[in-house]
Amino acid sequence: MLEIKNLHASVEDKEILKGINLKVNAGEVHAIMGPNGSGKSTLAEVIAGQEEFEVGEGNILLEGEDLEELSPEERAHKGVFLSFQYPVEIPGVSVTNFMKTAINESRKAQGLEDMPASEMLKKIREKSEMLEIDRKFLSRSLNEGFSGGEKKRNEIFQMAMMEPKLAILDETDSGLDIDALRIVANGVNKLRSKDNAIIVITHYQRLLEYIIPDFVHVLYNGKIVKSGTKELALELEEKGYDWLKEEAAV
Amino acid sequence: MDLKEKLVSSFMAFEDGLDLDHPVHEERSNAIKNFETKGFPTKKDEAWKYTSLKGLQKIDFSIFPKQETTLEYKDVKKYFLHDIDTYKIVFVDGVYSSYLSETTHDGVDVCLMSSAFSKPMFQQVIEVYFNKAASKDESLTSLNTAFSKEGAYIYIPKNKMPKKPIQILHLATGNEAALMLQPRNLIVAEDNAEVQIIERHQSLTGNEVFTNSVTEIFAGKDAIVDYYKVQNDAPTASLVDNTYISQKDKSVVRVHTFSLGGKLIRNNLNFYQNGERIDSTLKGITILGDKQHVDHHTLVHHAQPNCESHQDYKGIFGDSSTGVFNGKIIVDKIAQKTDAFQQNNNILLSDRSTINSKPQLEIFADDVKCSHGCTIGQLDEEALFYLRSRGIPKKEAKALMMYAFANNVLESVRIPELKARINKIIAEKLGVRMGFDL
Amino acid sequence: MAYTEEELKKELETKEYEYGFYTDIESDTLPKGLNEDIVIAISKKKEEPEWMTEWRLEAFRAWKEMEEPEWANVTYEKPDFQNISYYSAPNKKPKYNSLDEVDPELLETFKKLGISVDEQKKLAGVAVDIVMDSVSVATTFKKTLAEKGIIFCSISEAIQEHPELVKKYLGTVVPKKDNFYAALNSAVFSDGSFCYIPKGVRCPMELSTYFRINQAGTGQFERTLVIAEEGSYVSYLEGCTAPMRDENQLHAAVVELIALDNAEIKYSTVQNWYPGNNEGKGGVFNFVTKRGLCEKNAKISWTQVETGSAVTWKYPSCVLKGDNSIGEFYSIAVTNNFQQADTGTKMIHLGKNTKSTIISKGISAGQSQNSYRGLVQVNSRAENARNFSQCDSLLMGNRCGAHTFPYIEAKNKTAQIEHEATTSKIGEDQIFYCNQRGIDTEKAIALIVNGFSKEVLNKLPMEFAVEAQKLLEISLEGSVG
Repeated sequence: MLEIKNLHASVEDKEILKGINLKVNAGEVHAIMGPNGSGKSTLAEVIAGQEEFEVGEGNILLEGEDLEELSPEERAHKGVFLSFQYPVEIPGVSVTNFMKTAINESRKAQGLEDMPASEMLKKIREKSEMLEIDRKFLSRSLNEGFSGGEKKRNEIFQMAMMEPKLAILDETDSGLDIDALRIVANGVNKLRSKDNAIIVITHYQRLLEYIIPDFVHVLYNGKIVKSGTKELALELEEKGYDWLKEEAAV
Repeated sequence: MDLKEKLVSSFMAFEDGLDLDHPVHEERSNAIKNFETKGFPTKKDEAWKYTSLKGLQKIDFSIFPKQETTLEYKDVKKYFLHDIDTYKIVFVDGVYSSYLSETTHDGVDVCLMSSAFSKPMFQQVIEVYFNKAASKDESLTSLNTAFSKEGAYIYIPKNKMPKKPIQILHLATGNEAALMLQPRNLIVAEDNAEVQIIERHQSLTGNEVFTNSVTEIFAGKDAIVDYYKVQNDAPTASLVDNTYISQKDKSVVRVHTFSLGGKLIRNNLNFYQNGERIDSTLKGITILGDKQHVDHHTLVHHAQPNCESHQDYKGIFGDSSTGVFNGKIIVDKIAQKTDAFQQNNNILLSDRSTINSKPQLEIFADDVKCSHGCTIGQLDEEALFYLRSRGIPKKEAKALMMYAFANNVLESVRIPELKARINKIIAEKLGVRMGFDL
Repeated sequence: MAYTEEELKKELETKEYEYGFYTDIESDTLPKGLNEDIVIAISKKKEEPEWMTEWRLEAFRAWKEMEEPEWANVTYEKPDFQNISYYSAPNKKPKYNSLDEVDPELLETFKKLGISVDEQKKLAGVAVDIVMDSVSVATTFKKTLAEKGIIFCSISEAIQEHPELVKKYLGTVVPKKDNFYAALNSAVFSDGSFCYIPKGVRCPMELSTYFRINQAGTGQFERTLVIAEEGSYVSYLEGCTAPMRDENQLHAAVVELIALDNAEIKYSTVQNWYPGNNEGKGGVFNFVTKRGLCEKNAKISWTQVETGSAVTWKYPSCVLKGDNSIGEFYSIAVTNNFQQADTGTKMIHLGKNTKSTIISKGISAGQSQNSYRGLVQVNSRAENARNFSQCDSLLMGNRCGAHTFPYIEAKNKTAQIEHEATTSKIGEDQIFYCNQRGIDTEKAIALIVNGFSKEVLNKLPMEFAVEAQKLLEISLEGSVG
């Protein structure tokens, strides 16, 4: 599904990613953990095509296709979805209208007609029920005045609507209370299939109790310094990151 | 003879006896020409739409006071902020009173414009700064420039700070039936200097006084200037205050204007941000009664990126008083990341009082945060009821609420004694004895 | 008459020379220039009664003494008022024989707006050989109105057929001498609409000038008069989303609304006059005076979407004379390239318990200048007047400007006035967020702009709103690089 080879990225001449290698197969869930400032969010945004970052060496391949020349929307059309750590507010644009536009733009790129309104409505109803989202919420302006938890739930709702091939969840657990976390995680689990892949970026092990990863990677100082299975997450929870920093320093 | 003619024809007499080789002579000559062309502003000028100077021009003001008067300190003590130690620059009918003043040259210069004009040691500062921020176009500023001779001169060199705040006090004795005064102040705070200044105009009798004042303030890099204008003059005293502030990188200038009395007050307060990361603050409390008229005309010109400005003017208008607020924010094309905020809130207490508010934004840069808000309203009836239900009499409850209304403007006053003094004046204005302090 | 046949002919020739494609121009064009004789001639040509001629002459005499206003935040080369022909009968002959002859750029815009082929032909001035749908629509339309006693016709017709109404109300809200352009319009207005809703009648459909484009031609000096009798209601639509190319550079319209006790008038405008090309050449100057008078419990609501014109000078206003009357102003003004707009409203509170709401959304792009100018005035007898104003500006790029000049004057202590203004831009983070959801940058901007304008778009009648939304998109095309 996704293959990242020796990826380097920098912003304003400051190198943040210093040679990332990562392979994610369809049907897998990968967790990326690491201390603040290690480059987790940068990695997510670089995959999504944020132009603020300068990609130096390396490639990102999605199903064998190099993404380098593709704009963020073209990547989205190919099935890349990023659940933002800080979702942006767009005043006056309702969640429904936004989703309708997003889905139809992707369909247009694939040479499909607009989704019929009835189908759209059915889908919205289904997905909002799955994530226990109040319908009233869908007519509100996108992320404007949403609580932290509502924003994150809305991100997963969008993921459910767009059915991406590769979903990257950037700190989706931050700002969620335990009930909301459970609902969001359930939603994500329902969206797991053999045809898609998910990358979960998180600071804490908590979310991984609900979304059980196949692999866990530790990102430190722009590099993946350790990879393992879900047990690695528990180890990190217990010992913190310092031992890894020491290891990396050696 | 009307006032304009009188002023223009007095100009030669005024310059007689002054050094005509001094570079300031040319500034004065150009200025009188501009005033002669433009004359007094009228209501047809957009900037003077709500304030008329017509009445003042009919009064036969004397331009040069005939005699010097000495005053006893005890008689005028109450006009000073006397509970703290300060430097004082005091003028009586426009003439410096050494007896009432306390100046210094100890590391900083707190003295007179007349000395600054005449003594060679100040000449460089005069050449660099005098009339450099003030408008050469605005007619009343030109009028002042033409007659500039006396006023406060404050020079704070790099990294210095005077030991105590400075008071500038202009007293009018009423020895003339009607007197026109044109003080000219120059305040320079060099890089990283700091200064606090309190300015007040006070007429001692019921005779007419018309003051047309110009103050230029220069704040160097990282300098901090706090300027407080206390306007609580007699009902026959009128004031046009033109203040021009030029700021460099990372400087902070805060001007507080307390307009609590007088016949007609017009404040032209102009900030020019000539550097980055500048902070400008303009705050005002206006409480008027009778037929008083106060016009606040502010300009903040954001000419460089990453600067801030904060404006907050509160007005309470009773009787037949009139309040005007005209605030303009200009953000130049290159002034990205500007953060400009302007707020004007007013309460009308009487059916005969009027407020005209004109908050303006002129924005040429896209990555900025600019907002203004203006409200006109009354005291919140529900809150009033709440207070009364707790046993506070209506009058006090109203005063308390008006206090609260104006409170955040006083918060940023950095001289506690001045804050207390303003509090007291406001209490008097509201006609109640305050059992509390805010 | 002051002209000889000879002079007319000469004038005719110059006209032909100017617009080469007019092969068969009507002989019904007056020479350039403006004087009392021309005013009389216009009135005569329109076969107006004497009182109307006199009315025009009074306006003209006032206009002669007036000066063109300069206070607006716009700069343009002032028109030479003596170099304009003030009367030209509606050109009945089509300009083109088929759509192939029409400027392809214009057709492209029509297509984007989703305008039908027939409509396209009508708008572009192409001959149509079948009986057009809208003509028959217009006929049935008129029948329905007549049954309710509603008069909806051209102002020329009204002067002939309903002189008592015109005489009673014309110039009562916008006096002849109100301002320079209003005086000019009063002297020379060519045509416009007249609408009268009888007592207690609720007009069953949106009245629209759209239907009449082919019938009367909009004209350079349009005059509109809408009278809503006690307890009546009307919703009136003016303009259309299609770009209006016009050879006349100067447009000075006057619109007067009269809402008598308990009446309500909703007046919606979509203005898309030719804004000039992207180098700022050409384009229409639109200097409009629009004002409504509210009697007791009456309500007037102005909604406008302004995307066209090179220079716009326009302040739809409400005089809240009656107690409990309500004035509303909802506006979207878009400027792009070198356009300049100085627009806003005046809310004059005279009666007790009067309320006004102002929502203004300004969007500036390119090298344009967009100003909001508004007045909220509470007079001393207007007890309990309320106003809420909100002026938001959106800047796209930093070669444009957004300006806000609100005037707030209160003379009554019970007044409650709130004014808020903000300036913002479209954030790069917002664009990236949309991009990530598969929405390209141009579409993302359209989405964000529509969101920004939503409060006003919501006030438009449904079908108008959809078109207006598309229009916003088109107006801002290519504004982000």
